[in-house]
Amino acid sequence: MSGQTQSDLKSWGDILNPVEMQRHQQVGLLGILSLFVLPLVIPAIYAIYLSSALFFATFVMSWDFVSGYTGEISFGHGLFFGVGGYTSGMLNLHMGLDPWIAAPLGAVAAGLAGLLIGFPSLRVKGPYFSLITLVTPIILISVFRFFPDLTGGELGLVSVGTVEKFSAIGPIPSPGFDPYSGYYLALFVFLFALVVFVAITRSDAGMVFTAIRADEISVAATGKNPAKFKLFAFVLSGLIGGLAGAMYGHSVGGFNVSELLALIISIEVIVAAILGGIGTITGAAIGGLFFYLLRVFLRNLEFTIPVVNVPVGEVYFLLFGIVTLGFLFYLPEGIVPRVVGEWRARSEPQAGEAVADGGKSRGERIVESWTDDLRELFGGERR
Amino acid sequence: MVNNNNGSRRSNGSRTNSALGVNRRSFLRATGAGAVGTALAGCLGGGNGNGNGGGGVPDTVTIGALGPADSPMGDSILKSAELAVSEINDDGGIAGADVEVSTKDTKDQPGTTREVYQELTTGENVDATVGIFGSESLLSIMGNIAQQSTVHLTAGAATPEAPALVEENYDRNKYWFRVGPINSVFLGESQVQFAADRFEEMGWEKIAFLAEDYKWTEPITNDIQSQLEEEAGVEVTEVRRVAEGTEDFTPVYDQLESDEVDGAYTALAHTGTTALVQWAQQQRPFGFGGIHVPTQLPSFYEATQGAAISTFSQTTATANSEVTEKTVPYADAYQEEYDSLPVYTGYSAYDAVYMIKEAIEATESVNSDDLVSELEGMSYTGTGGNIEFFGPDGRFPHDVRYGADYAQGVYFQWQADESGEGHQRVLWPDDLEEAEYQSPPWA
Amino acid sequence: MVSAITIATNVLMLGALYSLVAIGFTLIFGVGGVLNLSHGAIITVGAYSAYAVDAATGSIVLGAIAAAVISGAFSLALYKGLISKVRHNPVTVLILTLVVAIVVEQLMLVIFGGEELLVPQLLDGSITVLSDSIQLNRILVFVLSWVLIGGLFYFVNRTRTGKAILATSMSDKGAALVGIDSEQVYSYTWVLAGALAGLAGLFLASFQTANPLMGRNPLLLSFSIVVLGGLGSIRGSVIGAYLISFLDQMTIQFLSERLAGVSALVVLVLVLLIRPKGLFGRELVEE
Repeated sequence: MSGQTQSDLKSWGDILNPVEMQRHQQVGLLGILSLFVLPLVIPAIYAIYLSSALFFATFVMSWDFVSGYTGEISFGHGLFFGVGGYTSGMLNLHMGLDPWIAAPLGAVAAGLAGLLIGFPSLRVKGPYFSLITLVTPIILISVFRFFPDLTGGELGLVSVGTVEKFSAIGPIPSPGFDPYSGYYLALFVFLFALVVFVAITRSDAGMVFTAIRADEISVAATGKNPAKFKLFAFVLSGLIGGLAGAMYGHSVGGFNVSELLALIISIEVIVAAILGGIGTITGAAIGGLFFYLLRVFLRNLEFTIPVVNVPVGEVYFLLFGIVTLGFLFYLPEGIVPRVVGEWRARSEPQAGEAVADGGKSRGERIVESWTDDLRELFGGERR
Repeated sequence: MVNNNNGSRRSNGSRTNSALGVNRRSFLRATGAGAVGTALAGCLGGGNGNGNGGGGVPDTVTIGALGPADSPMGDSILKSAELAVSEINDDGGIAGADVEVSTKDTKDQPGTTREVYQELTTGENVDATVGIFGSESLLSIMGNIAQQSTVHLTAGAATPEAPALVEENYDRNKYWFRVGPINSVFLGESQVQFAADRFEEMGWEKIAFLAEDYKWTEPITNDIQSQLEEEAGVEVTEVRRVAEGTEDFTPVYDQLESDEVDGAYTALAHTGTTALVQWAQQQRPFGFGGIHVPTQLPSFYEATQGAAISTFSQTTATANSEVTEKTVPYADAYQEEYDSLPVYTGYSAYDAVYMIKEAIEATESVNSDDLVSELEGMSYTGTGGNIEFFGPDGRFPHDVRYGADYAQGVYFQWQADESGEGHQRVLWPDDLEEAEYQSPPWA
Repeated sequence: MVSAITIATNVLMLGALYSLVAIGFTLIFGVGGVLNLSHGAIITVGAYSAYAVDAATGSIVLGAIAAAVISGAFSLALYKGLISKVRHNPVTVLILTLVVAIVVEQLMLVIFGGEELLVPQLLDGSITVLSDSIQLNRILVFVLSWVLIGGLFYFVNRTRTGKAILATSMSDKGAALVGIDSEQVYSYTWVLAGALAGLAGLFLASFQTANPLMGRNPLLLSFSIVVLGGLGSIRGSVIGAYLISFLDQMTIQFLSERLAGVSALVVLVLVLLIRPKGLFGRELVEE
């Protein structure tokens, strides 16, 4: 969690033991358990909302794993969702591969994309790297338009033919057709990503990531190769993001630019991570769910705004933006770190520890060092 | 149906946009993945979520309407569906049942479209849906339409990929129909026909074909050059596919001008306004029109402060063209209700609702399979023409038929009256012709 | 093939137009350290302000004044109301400006609808040069853009306030030492950048059309331009803008129209990989 300052490294077994957990971690575990039983009490349409929200939250986590931890802000994470989804979809459509086999292959392709994107990050610094990530998906979209017979161009892969959804496995109905089955598949992907990311970031490797963000040279001085860790972060983020993209595609039948590659997707992912709290994984997970469900809620609000006489349903995206602005303005550190911080302050009132950076949140520090790099490179001075 | 909760549910009759009002009781039986759902085979075999229990018409028939609310195309779909439903209710409902309409904003985004479609079907269990607009969105939910086995009548998208899916797997995709517009293959044929019928008197002997480089224009540009040359006898200097996002048509028009063409024959939608405005502002010495989606909007002339003058386009119908005896009354009713004129998607959405009414009354059922067979055989005189669908073995299964006896649309031109106001005047077909083609005032 | 005249007009005019946008972007960053991702949205505000005022009054000159004034005021309000309070919290700044951009897009969509709107030309008619027609509007846009750029150079290098802006962009601590009120300088910069972007929005709309998303491409191009020219450098921005517009026209003519806009992005990536300091980095400091 943000601000966690235990100096002794724990084994994964300790980390995942509920009895050892702090209060907020136990609450989190309870939350996860409730996700398992939720389908018992919710209508199918809610299962559909939640499945999409879980996939979206997985996207957000995969962004947070790279950008929140190594400090390399990615403005185009849609690239991974798109590469994973389109690879899987095209393998199925053009080569007849079963989605259950195609989806992992799509994830591998996105992992390779992670490697390709990760390499420049070794020599291109912060803001420049962000620019590269920003434009890569846009370039890929143009490439897709060049090969409409393969990719379907602007109409999406669905315009080339029927991309199969996941088939049923034994007694379990197809996640592509049964909302509840689809929900559990999404939950599985979400939890898989959550466990992998949490385990890694809370382990020795996570310490190294955090250290790389703070001071790459010192890390190199300890004999660890920061480049290797960074590349690993990109590959894993690509793998999971790509897996989620492919799984999402074969669950809902959505293989198009607007849902996977478009700029707005990459932006939404960042906003959701910021809402939840950068550099915590759990914050990203909760931020992703919150963001998605808030949007659905606003869209479905049956309320007409007085004076202008516009139904909320028609302007939900605008309101959503304003709500987000409010959050960013009044709760810039994100929901999860704030809540956890309040709990901490209440349950373990202790003398304030001296914090070297003046107590800024992890996210603030990342972007600050990033803009400082930028100023330095362009001839300003570090503040 | 895959989700066994669906089988017994009927329309809850609420007109709410919210899924919050959904009857939760029926879901309590669902007990997680293992217990949910019947075998997949049962779902794809044409089961249907609506009144499976032996047909019959429920007390309330609910129709879902989808469209991007903030675009004129979507707005017209949603309003026309509401208009049709309120007329039907005033006239005794459908087979005695009250009709509800549930409208959903798709934002023209595939993800949102899929989600609101599921709200309508899984959530509100509507008996049929109409609308959509936007081929990307339509193609994204073709799988869901099949899965929900709920009749959908498209208004708006022109992609021929949708009937191709019906052809590919009829049993699965048969719930899809398109009321209008005619698909883009027919749009191309229509452009050849218009050229053959009118170009000579328009003085268009030498033209350039201008299509935006989007997938929807591919069926049009594939063969247009030879067809225009052979069937209309015009010289085609080039068939130019203009890149997506083109913001500057000046080089294109320079080329056309130096080739001394009489007209730019178009297939433009997304880039249409920019192309038209620059053509008008630069007062290019050639005519401009063909298929041009923005200029079809009745508000376009005013919105462009007259830049649309003399541009022409194919469209489903115009507000004062008597395509059928229903066209003008519909446009008048729409204007009375909403203080504006409908755009082309509105005609189709309005007809779609009435076709659902006819089908339900004829079969005395809201069962989707019954409705599908009824719609396949239906010949309905709507606002956009005599609407009939291709059969399962037709050229474009479940797509609207094109031709003089069916729906063929009209070509209109923006012409100004003495007071400078713009009017969409029909140029083609002959029986509806209101005016002769006029060259741009500067040409 | 299109004549060299057409290409040259396009390069000259678009380069000047992109410069207006990129200069504002680079000024705000150089002076306040703020990466303003809502800069593209201010272009949209300018175009729609001009549209609305022109529709109400019938005068595009009033529209142009509105584009400058409203955009400048919007930019200032954005700074005073939101950014200044969180200026030292860069993560918030970055995301706030991004969300502001989305909110502006949505606001325009709700108020004006999604259709493309026509903003009248500043000047109708065209002249013929070597059998190619050139719109007078384009020539005027070119001239006005350069008048603005020239005025800006004069302002920054010759006037007290301008010099204060320059000084602050070099070193805000140094500027503070010599008694420059940095807060005031920030405000000037935001107004200036906003007004320039607003006018650029009007210019853009006058020969294209206005739509809610019209600010996105210019923002992306600004990125490319300032990376080529060096962030914080006015002269670098002008050179970068011309390089980008030249490259774009060449791509359209000799490669494929489908690559319009994309070529700039590809080059951006290559430049970043090969020469990450940009072609003209640090220039501002030496001026």
